[in-house]
Amino acid sequence: MKGMKHGSIVLVAIILGVLLALQFRVSSEPQPAVASGERARELTNELSELRKEKQSLALDVADLEERVMTARQGIGQAEAAIINEIEKHRVLAGLTDVAGPGVEIILQNVRRSEQPADAAVFSIRDEELVMLVNELRGAGAEAIAVNGQRIISTSEIRLAFPFINVNLIRISPPYTVSAIGDPEALRNMVELSGGLVEILRDWGIDVQVEVLDEVIVPAYQGTIRLEYTSLYKEGD
Amino acid sequence: MALSIWIAGIGLVVGIAIGWNIPLFIPAAYGKYLGIAVLASLDSVFGGIRAAMEDKFDNVVFLSGFIGNALMAALLVFIGDRLGVEIYIAAVVAFGVRLFQNLGIIRRHLFNR
Repeated sequence: MKGMKHGSIVLVAIILGVLLALQFRVSSEPQPAVASGERARELTNELSELRKEKQSLALDVADLEERVMTARQGIGQAEAAIINEIEKHRVLAGLTDVAGPGVEIILQNVRRSEQPADAAVFSIRDEELVMLVNELRGAGAEAIAVNGQRIISTSEIRLAFPFINVNLIRISPPYTVSAIGDPEALRNMVELSGGLVEILRDWGIDVQVEVLDEVIVPAYQGTIRLEYTSLYKEGD
Repeated sequence: MALSIWIAGIGLVVGIAIGWNIPLFIPAAYGKYLGIAVLASLDSVFGGIRAAMEDKFDNVVFLSGFIGNALMAALLVFIGDRLGVEIYIAAVVAFGVRLFQNLGIIRRHLFNR
């Protein structure tokens, strides 16, 4: 009887010890902050406010995304326009191969023996080519090349005896002047009676004028360098 | 009957050792239940020691008292939680008073006065 009663005391004491130890461990753990009623209400308010804020921010995001998209589209369009413009100016500047209807005029020195007796003894000089190019320009030629040398804004046609230089490149007969433009206008301008071709023929030069559906005018081969020129703006 | 105190002390030490080492974790939310259970067991242990000293110890009364007190206390905690009123304080007070009474009686028995 005595052993049994001590046994139950020991049992309860052991349970007590276990509970004590557990309780001690629990209270030594860091406790999460318990939300009391006040705090809970505060947090609820905060939550709903943050939700509203989040919603409005989401709207902002959508709005901004739309604007970014339009801006991007705008950039794309602007880029396309710029590229277009660059291409156009490259064509205008003579930096691209171009093709179109026009004329090809071939000038050839005629051997003296084959010249008519009354012809002036003559060989083609730079001046004739300059005049021809000038005439073609006057007739509205859009692109001109002499022996494949594109005539651009800085081109020269210059006698460097006994050759002719175009764009500092030596060319030699026969001289082929290709021009893109209204073929009839170009032809009429050079072939009109008393015009350049007639004069050249009188001088004993073999001139052939061919009207073609497609004349290919090559690009300017060199590099354009503007060392001294800069853009002038009014009021600078 | 100082033997009962020694036995109870040894049991307590063993129990603490066990409780310290078992990989059991009780969520902090149940800390109140645990606390009241601790109080109930303390009350029972001191009650048991006192009864043993007076040679009135009865196993059935002791164990049923321990279990019944613990359950009742836990119930009070539970109801208190539901109602938002801390009823379990009643149990704490009751156990506390009994604890000190028993302690006082045990003291007198020990000194035989």
